[in-house]
Amino acid sequence: MTRRDSALRLARVGGVITSVALVAFAGIYVRALMFTPIERFQGPAQKIFYVHAPVAWAALLAFLVTGILSLLYLIMRDRKLDTIAAASAEVGVAFAVVMLTTGPLWGKPVWGTWWSWDARLTSTLFIFLLFVGYQVLRGALHDPEIRARFSAVMGVMALVLVPFIHVTVYWFRTLHPEPVLMKPERPSLPGVMLVTLLSSVAVCTLMYVGFLLMRYSLAVLRDIREEEIVDGVS
Amino acid sequence: MPQAEPAVAVRGVSRRFAHRWVLKDISMDVAPGEAVLLVGGNGAGKTTLLRVVSGLLRPNKGDVTLSGTVGMVAHHTMMYDALTAHENLTFFSRLHGLKIRARIDELLGRMGLAHVADERIGTFSRGMLQRLAIARALMPEPRVLLLDEPLTGLDDAASHTVIDVLGALEAQGVAMMIATHQLVELVGTAARVGYMVNGKLAALERCGGEAGQVVERYRELVAGE
Amino acid sequence: MRRGRWWSATGNWSPVSNAATLQAIFAIAGKDLLVEGRTKTAFFSSLVFAILVLTVLYFARDKTSVGDLDLAPGALWVTFTFAGMLGLNRAFVLETENRAMDGVRLTPATPTAIFLGKVLGSLVFVGTVELVSLPVFILFYDVPIWRELPILILVIALATIGFVSVGTLFASMVVRTRFSEVMLPVLMLPFLFPPVVAAVQLTRGILALRPLSEYSGWLSLLAAFVIIFFTFSLFLFEAILEE
Repeated sequence: MTRRDSALRLARVGGVITSVALVAFAGIYVRALMFTPIERFQGPAQKIFYVHAPVAWAALLAFLVTGILSLLYLIMRDRKLDTIAAASAEVGVAFAVVMLTTGPLWGKPVWGTWWSWDARLTSTLFIFLLFVGYQVLRGALHDPEIRARFSAVMGVMALVLVPFIHVTVYWFRTLHPEPVLMKPERPSLPGVMLVTLLSSVAVCTLMYVGFLLMRYSLAVLRDIREEEIVDGVS
Repeated sequence: MPQAEPAVAVRGVSRRFAHRWVLKDISMDVAPGEAVLLVGGNGAGKTTLLRVVSGLLRPNKGDVTLSGTVGMVAHHTMMYDALTAHENLTFFSRLHGLKIRARIDELLGRMGLAHVADERIGTFSRGMLQRLAIARALMPEPRVLLLDEPLTGLDDAASHTVIDVLGALEAQGVAMMIATHQLVELVGTAARVGYMVNGKLAALERCGGEAGQVVERYRELVAGE
Repeated sequence: MRRGRWWSATGNWSPVSNAATLQAIFAIAGKDLLVEGRTKTAFFSSLVFAILVLTVLYFARDKTSVGDLDLAPGALWVTFTFAGMLGLNRAFVLETENRAMDGVRLTPATPTAIFLGKVLGSLVFVGTVELVSLPVFILFYDVPIWRELPILILVIALATIGFVSVGTLFASMVVRTRFSEVMLPVLMLPFLFPPVVAAVQLTRGILALRPLSEYSGWLSLLAAFVIIFFTFSLFLFEAILEE
């Protein structure tokens, strides 16, 4: 099988996975809206949680994948690692945007505020900003080898930074207690809600994998095309 | 008779930029005291090969072995315009772990730059810069000297100075690789000529001392590709 | 026979002694400062910027509702970091003209020595900007700076080392891009968050004459950040330098 064929096959597999995940996601949402009880304190708005938390998890997963693959790239120098890391970052940005929009949509009706600078929210915001910085850096570097190396360095630095951000905000909050309406934590959930939530997490993970495969195969196909152009094949 | 160890040993070196292989499986030796000319068109890979040999570029495949310190004279001066000739040489000598004022003065004198030692090199002419670059390259007493188009932009007097220096270095046993278009001036210095066509070393042959022959041979090899 | 090893700075690598590394570090820092001393543009830009920021922040607040002690630490650190960032790019821009960095890579100087030399040069640069803008700061804000000067200097030094190390690594990356002046802040700002927040909290605690035990946690955080990021920047720099 040629490289192009295997990339196309991977894209198809990714497409299938993504479609399955999207359908499953819709199904879960039906379950969330119809069959899962309304939370006592938060009301119907709490249902956004079934989107927000798993999507946030997927964004974090994407970030970890990019960071760890960046480190591996610097050790092993395999171009594939960089291609996957970059694909993961792109998918991660998308999930992060959804996370940052659903968060306030959930927060406003439930806690009366669009945003709160607590450790978790601030960390996720910074993950988004670091993703954006990573993409900006990649966009500004045109040589593939330099781009791979430099973004890998950035990926590793970003990975090390996030724990610091979390601790910084956490200490800031604990040393400067502000009137907290209610901490936006995952409340302890009764069985039905927990099942819905965990299913949603599983589906979002699946969606991430599907998107990742598709984005990765696209990058490989683009690479193949560029090679052909350079070699003079039209 | 045992073969003397080469000063430069290039083995299977390949290097690409993005998707283009700029160097394809290059292997060659340069003996101490031997000067090899590298000839080829633009984009043939001469500069890239020199940069790989110097260690500035890492080959994607293959490797390079050197018998001693390398000096390089390239298209860019690789020095600081805001500093004087003396300050530049002092700085680089410190990085080499030398700091011998006498040697710096001697080198500047030898290259005819003693009178401008304390002028900022941003004001230098191309010829002066080239001579300073050679002085800098010679500072650590290299066993290998790499020159990329060393005579470009030089007037006759400056060219002759450089050619004399190269001849003296050859006699001292310094191995040299010289990438150049200016065959007439340099063909007398070289022992062998390496013909680079499209990233490959098409031929590496003894130099007859005749610029015309070299051009002919080059055309032959290009046609053969 | 010496091999051209791809992961050393160049084929000129030979066992390098500590003394040689130290000499290289000082040579590089000295050269950076000499070049800057000849042109002076980056230094004066940084200085003017620092004074402008301090002035704007001072006049932009409502004196009756925001006390000196509330605003001063934040103003100080915003000034220091942004003015400092202006000076970080220059460390590598000067190496790109004439491809001077290639000349450095052709010497036995190791990537470690090059990084440390660059950081040292930038520390002197940024430190000087900080030193000159501090009196302006004192002029604007009525805070008991003299009593607590030693520990304040420690905090300033620590936080500066932190952001200069990270900034040197990022500057070496962005110098290869087209809009390096803009790219450096974009990439660096998330990394400024922990050290600047810690520095501001520490400055506030110090100037409010609070006991050390109250803010020692921030000091540990700052120290941990500096140690970890200095080390990472040092090791990752080699990957940026090679080609």
